[in-house]
Amino acid sequence: MNGENNIVYAPNKFIRMGFLTSLQGMFVSLFQSRELIWRLFLRDFKAKYRQSVFGILWALINPLITVGIFVLLNRSGILNIGDTTVPYPIFALMGISVYGIFSTGLSVSANSIIGAGPMVVKINFPKISLVIASMGQALIDFFVRMLMLIILLIFYGIAPNWTLFIFPFALLPLIFLTLGVGFMLSLLAGIFRDIVHIASFLTTLFLFLMPVLYPAPQSGLFANLNLWNPLSHLIVGARDVFILGNLSNPSEYFYSVFFSLSVFLISWRIFFLSEHRIAERV
Amino acid sequence: MTNDILIKADNVSKKYCRALKHTMIYGMQDIVRNTLGMAAHSDRLRDGEFWALDDISFEVKRGECVGIIGANGSGKSTLLKLLNGIFLPDKGRIEIKGRCGALIEVGAGFHPMLTGRENVYINGAILGMSKKEIDRKFDEIVSFADIGDFIDSPVKHYSSGMYVRLGFAVAIQCEPDILLVDEVLAVGDAKFQRKCFAKMNELRQNGKTILFVSHDVNTVNQLCSETILLDHGAIVKQGNPRDITKLYHKFLFGQEEQSDKGAFQEISLTAHKEQCVTVQTGQDEFIERQKLKQYAMQKLNISDVHISSEEMRYGNKKAEIIDYGILDRNFKRVDVLKTGERYSIFFKTLFYEDLDDLTLGCRIQNTRGMDVFAANTYFHNITIPPQKKGNLLECCFDVKMHLAQGDFFLTFGIRNINSDNFYDRRIDTVHFKVESIDKMDSACLVNLDEVVSVRNVVVG
Repeated sequence: MNGENNIVYAPNKFIRMGFLTSLQGMFVSLFQSRELIWRLFLRDFKAKYRQSVFGILWALINPLITVGIFVLLNRSGILNIGDTTVPYPIFALMGISVYGIFSTGLSVSANSIIGAGPMVVKINFPKISLVIASMGQALIDFFVRMLMLIILLIFYGIAPNWTLFIFPFALLPLIFLTLGVGFMLSLLAGIFRDIVHIASFLTTLFLFLMPVLYPAPQSGLFANLNLWNPLSHLIVGARDVFILGNLSNPSEYFYSVFFSLSVFLISWRIFFLSEHRIAERV
Repeated sequence: MTNDILIKADNVSKKYCRALKHTMIYGMQDIVRNTLGMAAHSDRLRDGEFWALDDISFEVKRGECVGIIGANGSGKSTLLKLLNGIFLPDKGRIEIKGRCGALIEVGAGFHPMLTGRENVYINGAILGMSKKEIDRKFDEIVSFADIGDFIDSPVKHYSSGMYVRLGFAVAIQCEPDILLVDEVLAVGDAKFQRKCFAKMNELRQNGKTILFVSHDVNTVNQLCSETILLDHGAIVKQGNPRDITKLYHKFLFGQEEQSDKGAFQEISLTAHKEQCVTVQTGQDEFIERQKLKQYAMQKLNISDVHISSEEMRYGNKKAEIIDYGILDRNFKRVDVLKTGERYSIFFKTLFYEDLDDLTLGCRIQNTRGMDVFAANTYFHNITIPPQKKGNLLECCFDVKMHLAQGDFFLTFGIRNINSDNFYDRRIDTVHFKVESIDKMDSACLVNLDEVVSVRNVVVG
């Protein structure tokens, strides 16, 4: 029984098979699960809005409330946001939409494996597809918010920059970072259920610590806090591309791109190695 | 030919945690070790762990249908999950050749809000089918599931039977070389079960390999060519289904007698019988029993209790079946019977203790282990008077032999009405043949005493 397509299950299988072989295994398994990822995404998407009156509009309600509160606080002078180059509602909606990729992405991916129920323990399939498919929800929400943003732009009579077309690419590093952290959270949540709560707590905290609803401060506590924060640079960078048409801090942005790709690759690897262990602990 | 081995398990072990606390700590440890490229110490037990499967080795060849039976918690499902690759073994090695499909949980991944149609595509994708493949098989899936227009209703409106049918239909369509089946056939109505078996038989005939986990002995007997009996994570025995199911029965119901001997070894029957008696009773009582038995045998004019090599026996021996057989109408003992004739199946029980609320029964199985006849005094509302120690009780079942032809096995048992613990149960004690004088299809089971007539209704 030495045929080529023999499958072998043995302890520490992936550690023993050598780095390159297992790396190849990672890519092959990801490529083979593309259909599954798509199906799972469709499932989540359809199921989420079925039997609901407002459907996808729910993607707008939360950010609009947050933005609305900040606009009010800003108008009434309680909060001084400072100069934002574009009207504040556009600035804030932009920021919260971009940040939403990260925050929604984390909360759905943390839940993706433990929320999948018995299929995780009863069917053998690449679990990574659950995490990636769940990210789709965050992206859908983002698109809906972008449509709203375009309506706002038209309302204010602002013509978008040509860099609008680069904008999706500027989001990629953020998506990779979210996926990377999401891989880890989904794994850990399989062992510690606390992760789900911690993730939602942290994303709320970050919303206010990072220049999402206000422009990046140049000095002071928050400037120092975000100096080495890749997430903050990625959000600011994506917004810069959309609003300014260039990057205000290119070196920090590229450091963050490198950082997010590393996080993605390392987490992917860890996920791949630990997938089976999680199935038995869930 | 070694080429034909599709599943090969070598000394496979798997451990589980008892407490959630350990699950969390060890889970973390394992992940960290894996990440750092270190082998997890999977080959030894940590505090609070136990072997759910211990040193399992077996092989399955192409076209075989292997049944895995065992009590709850014996490791059947874990074994199936290991074979499916959901978990990796902690020790040993499993080799699988070919596409492996699993019916471990049907309909897993079904989303209640989505329609059957949508769920078929999702479930198919989870099981590794492409959209094209599902498109091609969609009609077949729907017709197999037999759910009609419901295919476009949300799955949450399905009855549980429909749910399982649809799940099974999808899973069975992914054309695996090896099919792993967990106790899923238990759900669904008779018609669907019949369909599933037909499908599994069809797969078998096409050279597919099936691994079937069940605690339903009859199903295993009918379907499988080989059976593995698991207990506490270890293989007790592997062999032909009928032998294994007998052993399983003994294990399930004969525990009382076994408990002090580290359950479940096949001991030579005579030795075993003597042992039981000596272990449970003192020397004096043993001698007394022997005396009672000798006296009874003298009365019956038989020299020793006949034991067939196929027999499996258990019970707590408060009473013992010492004589049995089948008599024809001339009161002659027979073991070759003619279909359509009347016979008398009898057995005689000697009591070593005062016993009440008795029920006595017998049962006939065919070579595949299927029950073809069963009767007992309880079902016939026969009240048996309380029996005193030393009594000898005869029980007769007068039957007309409606079995068509073939080899059959007779089982006797005596127990309390209110409990499953047998005083004595002798499985497959008599091996008898039924022969038919007329020509008959060799595969058929019963003789319906048919009268055949043919006539022209219209002559043209």
